[in-house]
Amino acid sequence: MSFREKSAWISVISMAGIYGYYFWSVLRAGPHLGSFHFAGLLATLIALIVVQIVLTIAVAVASPRDARAPRDEREKLIELRATRVAYAGLATSVAMACFFGARDPPIVFNTNSLLLLLVTAELLRSGCQIIQYRRGA
Amino acid sequence: MALDVGIIRNEIRRLRFEHGEMTQQQLADKIELTRQTVNAIEQGKYSPSLEAAFRIAAVFGKPLESVFRYEQD
Repeated sequence: MSFREKSAWISVISMAGIYGYYFWSVLRAGPHLGSFHFAGLLATLIALIVVQIVLTIAVAVASPRDARAPRDEREKLIELRATRVAYAGLATSVAMACFFGARDPPIVFNTNSLLLLLVTAELLRSGCQIIQYRRGA
Repeated sequence: MALDVGIIRNEIRRLRFEHGEMTQQQLADKIELTRQTVNAIEQGKYSPSLEAAFRIAAVFGKPLESVFRYEQD
């Protein structure tokens, strides 16, 4: 498994786990979200950054040669394809949010709804990368 | 009239063997690709850029058409 594929796995696992816990906490808090909102979001972002840095360093130490090597043409192509898929997903979901937001009565999307769209797009991007790495494409 | 879609086949595995059983990693280092990409090219799962194809051919001292060939279905 290449360093880039391991990085994609780190991204998927850490985001699914940490953001999963955050959104579960938000759902559990329900309308009584209150002060948890900002503190919870801040803690989530810090936890995500720390976990990704620690895991990436661990993987880089295990295979320093792969980690130092720049992305080659196939890895760049895989990233571009994955970004294209994620962008299509994000654009579609934002367009749908705009459509439902313009209804009468409008559906109001809060910060967490928008964050969920963004996290889903990122998971889609990393997931697409993993699929392509697994297929060897 | 459009040509049928074909597949690019290559002789990299044989050429590596004939060049002192060169490993995929050794070839990858020479052409500045990853070992995984060399493996994908060898298996026909990834078609390299023209530049990478020329670099591979140059490593083996062969013309491009001796390393890669296009076969129509």
